[in-house]
Amino acid sequence: MTPCGGFVYLKTIMGRFLKFLSLLIGIGVIIYVAAPHKPKEGALEKIRKRGYLLWGADAEGGAPYVFPDPENPSKLIGFEVDLANAIAGELGVKAVQSQNAWDSLIPALERGDFDFAMNGIEITRKRKERVLFSAPYYVYTEQLVVRRDDAAIKSVADLKGKKAGTLSGTVAQDILMGMGGVKVKIYSGQVEPYQDLAIGRLDAVLMDLPIAAYYAKPDPRLKYAGPPVGEGLYAIALRKNDTQLKKRLDEILAKLYRTGELQRIYEKWGLWNSKQDKLAAFFKNPGTETLDESRSAPIKNFFPMLLKGAGVTVLISVSSMALAITLGLMLTMLRLYAGPPFDWLATGYIEVYRGTPLLIQLYILYYGLPNIGISLNPVMAAFLGLGMNYAAYESELYRAGINAVPYGQMEAALSLGMTRGLAVKRVILPQAVKIALPGITNDFIALFKDSSLVSVIAMVELTKTYSMLAASTLRFFQLGIITALLYFCMSYPLSLLARRLEKRLKKDRR
Amino acid sequence: MITVRGLHKSYGVAPLFEGLSFQVERGEAVVLIGPSGSGKSTILRCINGLETFDRGEITVAGIELHSINTKRPSREDAERIRKVRLKLGMVFQQFNLFPHMTVLQNVTEAPVRVLGMGRTDAEAEARGFLRQINLEGKADSYPAQLSGGEQQRVAIARALAMRPEAMLFDEPTSSLDPEMAGEVLSVIRRLVAEGMTTMIATHEMGFAREAAGRVIVFDKGAIIETGPPSQIFTSPKVPRTREFLNRVLGRF
Ligand SMILES: Nc1ncnc2c1ncn2[C@@H]1O[C@H](COP(=O)(O)OP(=O)(O)O)[C@@H](O)[C@H]1O
Ligand SMILES: [Mg+2]
Repeated sequence: MTPCGGFVYLKTIMGRFLKFLSLLIGIGVIIYVAAPHKPKEGALEKIRKRGYLLWGADAEGGAPYVFPDPENPSKLIGFEVDLANAIAGELGVKAVQSQNAWDSLIPALERGDFDFAMNGIEITRKRKERVLFSAPYYVYTEQLVVRRDDAAIKSVADLKGKKAGTLSGTVAQDILMGMGGVKVKIYSGQVEPYQDLAIGRLDAVLMDLPIAAYYAKPDPRLKYAGPPVGEGLYAIALRKNDTQLKKRLDEILAKLYRTGELQRIYEKWGLWNSKQDKLAAFFKNPGTETLDESRSAPIKNFFPMLLKGAGVTVLISVSSMALAITLGLMLTMLRLYAGPPFDWLATGYIEVYRGTPLLIQLYILYYGLPNIGISLNPVMAAFLGLGMNYAAYESELYRAGINAVPYGQMEAALSLGMTRGLAVKRVILPQAVKIALPGITNDFIALFKDSSLVSVIAMVELTKTYSMLAASTLRFFQLGIITALLYFCMSYPLSLLARRLEKRLKKDRR
Repeated sequence: MITVRGLHKSYGVAPLFEGLSFQVERGEAVVLIGPSGSGKSTILRCINGLETFDRGEITVAGIELHSINTKRPSREDAERIRKVRLKLGMVFQQFNLFPHMTVLQNVTEAPVRVLGMGRTDAEAEARGFLRQINLEGKADSYPAQLSGGEQQRVAIARALAMRPEAMLFDEPTSSLDPEMAGEVLSVIRRLVAEGMTTMIATHEMGFAREAAGRVIVFDKGAIIETGPPSQIFTSPKVPRTREFLNRVLGRF
């Protein structure tokens, strides 16, 4: 091959590269689209006909789950109210709460008083015999609370011989009873145990973290003792034969989780924590209901999720790279040819974007902009965040490329009567791009890996998928190797391409 | 055809031209000689609008270039400069062919994009020009596949394809070995013979002697002598011309 054929050769490489990319995008789209299927409707029909969803919960002293709004007591609020509304919204109906004492929610459900019960109901073996559980919607822990001046009780282990309060029929009760030697006092409301603790009737209270977060944390007389203990799942309880409704609810919960809606609700109530990552495992494999089962599931069960994550990664990377390439070109043109004030605006943009961490830029885009009334969805924020950041780097590559084109080229073009614009477009840029291409390819690889950063703004791409799966199954090693392999399979062809382009460039310029 | 009147130009604080004036008639072949750094390239580039100047005026085929001493000329000035460039063909010492285009594309690019010629017409015409310089067979080659002499001939064809009224050559053979230089010079000689208005800055004294209608001798940004080659090369009036010629001719 002669050096001058280089440009033509370059075009064929670009062609192959684009084909490869479109193949990857295609795979991503197929994976994305093919995932959920609609089940047959059944109990759902009833809800649709009725026009609203009826859900059972106890609003009495039920903060932060379901409780009357202190400012407008005729209105119920709480994270489960938000969740019920979100679910109903997905079903295309309204949500109406049906009041029922917590202790008797399950008998009422069996009686047919409402469509399902959702009220901090923990998944237990015993309950599973009576009801059908949806996928879990919250990973709860138990929090031990003591008086602020108490130095003796540092964890549940210190409870021997002490008086501990908890809520009737809860997992916390089972834990306390199971320890032996603890004087357990059972309450039916959530407020009273903390009151009794504060005035010295109890030595400690063990209850679900959401309750502690709402009632005990703000109380200056009380404090948390030790890290959360135990761990369990809240799920929606359905009648045994409502399998279709369960399937639909699982899909909806999965969607709410995926879109970040669930996280938004929990964040609003101060309930979001890293434990919630474990939920991911349930939404992708609706059959798996306990952590134990997902820990021992064959590794191939996780491939569809990982591949889907990879598809999202590819989509995000390719689209933001496209943005980076075009925006970068515009910045370069402004900087080199537009004159003031556009040139220094472009320079300012480049310096700011290169001089600040991508992570901060993403946070500002996603969490910061809503403060001034601009709310971007995660996909948009990821696309803009990565694309705008890399545009600054691409711009510098173009500029270096343009500066590497001898000035005589511009003069020759001008002397032929070309305008500056035409000369840049027809003579300078084609040569500059050729010089910049290996760098651009390398940047694409970097962007590809940097795309894992968008997991901070609720985008579930490959890295996020991995961390969710690994957190819920504790199989950090196996899943990590597979994830790394997936990344490598996608970036290695690009590395080969970059190396080839570099070699070609060296040959051309000898 | 080309008139330079009272031209002043300086690079930074160092003045180069301080009131330079001369004229080139239609059909005339003017050769510019003089030591390196005397301003030959600069005057050609000023005429073509590739350099700005401080004071004076340059008129090319009736279009006047003022002293535009800004990096960013106004839209009208830019358009005026472009009109001048359309009247002039320019050939550079370093050829400056577009490396990413074939020979044929190099020649047709400007006629198609600037003059709006149809591609087939432009290509037919380009092949005609390539035939004249004996490079028809290289139409689909890339510049890097050609020898220097061939590249410079393509550069000439590229300029001619715009149908200029005059051609400016800035040391067209200085980066070529003598054999290749000969090929290029014979192309220029033929142009001159056909009556093309030309200005050529060169160190090829043999060529100047036989092809020039008039020789202009530059030294330190000023014209120190001008006259027909027969007079300049045999009986220069200015001592500095004689010194220069002795130096240059003695070397060959
Ligand atoms: N871009 C420039 N900046 C500063 N000085 C320059 C520049 N271009 C040319 N000069 C100076 O102008 C003078 C004339 O240069 P030039 O026209 O190239 O001479 P010639 O072509 O006769 O060798 C030289 O002294 C040179 O140093
Ligand atoms: Mg010169």
